[in-house]
Amino acid sequence: MKLTGLALIFATCVISAAAQDTLVLLDNLAIRETHSIFFKSLQERGYKLTYKLADDASLVLSKYGEYLYKNLIIFAPSVEEFGGDLSVEKITEFIDDGGNVLVGGSSVSGDALRELASECGFEMDEEGASVIDHLNYDVSDTGDHTTIVASPSNLIKSKIIIGSDVTAPLLYRGTGLLADRENSLVLQVLTADSTAYSYVPENSIKEYPHAVGRGTLLIAALQARNNARVVFSGSLYFFSDEAFTSGVQNAQGGKSYKQSGNQKVVESLSKWVFGEVGRIRVASVDHHKEGETTPPQSYTITDPVVYTISIEELDHGVWKAFQADDVQLEFVRIDPFVRTTLKKVANGKYVAKFKIPDVYGVYQFKVDYDRVGYTHLYSTTQVSVRPLTHTQYERFIPSAYPYYVSSFSMMLGVFLFSFVFLHYKEEPLKSKGDDKKTQ
Amino acid sequence: MTNINVVLNKFYDEYVNNTPKKLKIIDAYLFYILLTGIIQFVYCCLVGSFPFNSFLSGFISTVSCFILGVCLRLQANPQNKSQFYGISPERGFADFILAHIILHIVVMNFIG
Repeated sequence: MKLTGLALIFATCVISAAAQDTLVLLDNLAIRETHSIFFKSLQERGYKLTYKLADDASLVLSKYGEYLYKNLIIFAPSVEEFGGDLSVEKITEFIDDGGNVLVGGSSVSGDALRELASECGFEMDEEGASVIDHLNYDVSDTGDHTTIVASPSNLIKSKIIIGSDVTAPLLYRGTGLLADRENSLVLQVLTADSTAYSYVPENSIKEYPHAVGRGTLLIAALQARNNARVVFSGSLYFFSDEAFTSGVQNAQGGKSYKQSGNQKVVESLSKWVFGEVGRIRVASVDHHKEGETTPPQSYTITDPVVYTISIEELDHGVWKAFQADDVQLEFVRIDPFVRTTLKKVANGKYVAKFKIPDVYGVYQFKVDYDRVGYTHLYSTTQVSVRPLTHTQYERFIPSAYPYYVSSFSMMLGVFLFSFVFLHYKEEPLKSKGDDKKTQ
Repeated sequence: MTNINVVLNKFYDEYVNNTPKKLKIIDAYLFYILLTGIIQFVYCCLVGSFPFNSFLSGFISTVSCFILGVCLRLQANPQNKSQFYGISPERGFADFILAHIILHIVVMNFIG
């Protein structure tokens, strides 16, 4: 009894630890102190943080093919090369295997981060470049106008990622990011104002800046096809205690806020990037003919069918019913033949009732739910649809009676005609060889 | 106009007087088939082609009957005797019946 209890405790420890282990890579251990609020909030949420210097020679991400960590935080902007076993390739592999990564850069970002950024579909501006905004900078700015005030209206419109009710502006000091707009996996979490640009503050501008206006990304996110999440911030300062606690006021006149919105945004953003929120999954799929309960071997054309999918959302570590009203179902045979919005019923169950099209073949019930902030939900169920069997066709259709009558009259006609034709004797009335005879 | 009338009158007289009775019987039969076919076609235009297989089989049965009737008429016509040398009228009629049997089996299968 005691033994099993111990084993149980041990098992739960292992599970929770394995689920929440996070490696934090730092430039220097001082960052641990300057960003303590952020780290503390993570620890309070159950993350086990392992702090390491980014160039530590003993760095390992995986052992014997098993990852030691589930999440990775890189708060080491200046690192040129990761230490130990770690490299950009290893981190990319980590993301490919489903690991989540949070990266904070700065205006002096090293090559390692640059490379990692381009692997994730972003581009960091040149070394030394900062985002400058001469119209939206904070009163605390030292004169370069690089401590900019980002309006919360520039945040991505997704409650899942940035949380709700962020009203205070955000403080940002760092480099600008660029992202390919065509890349549908990249999310522009925070963009700069239209008056911003990214350039080296000390230099006079000779070339056109790489990032200008709203094209300057301050925070970019990537949700890969395997639902691994990466958040890239051009500013490590964004996560710092200083930015969290200091007041914010636009130096060009504006309302003064006691506290910047950074803390709120960072909290939601970290919840999102480490997969605490916005995770949905298919719990079960069920389909059958209307009035039955089990799926048939195959459907017949024009059968009425009922499709039920139950979707769950992760909420504080528990899978709960997912609520939405825009989940769609497609009934696909190469092209969708039916596309309908699923109706929500109790317990996260979504139901669609429709008539199978009058075309036979191999079909799929397909639910492809891809919304900003949520993991990609994709479910297909293959069924075959056969034509009517010979005995299932309608007989004696009233509107076809004229055709029946006519074909029977044709038969009768032949019958009668044969009698008349055979029994008729030509009376020798006229000479048969007359050549004027018409036919 | 009068010309046409004269032609038509003459044509009618010739037909009534000089065509063997046997061919006239066939012609009456053909006329009956033609009428049935037209009625079906008009009905289909009015009602729509819903039981399309029924319409097809009904209509095709009239068309085929008509064709077979015409063929029989060609063989039964004494004027064409030289073309059907060695084929007796009895043989022609037997062919006609055989073709009809096959036709009606197909029609019955297809009419639904």
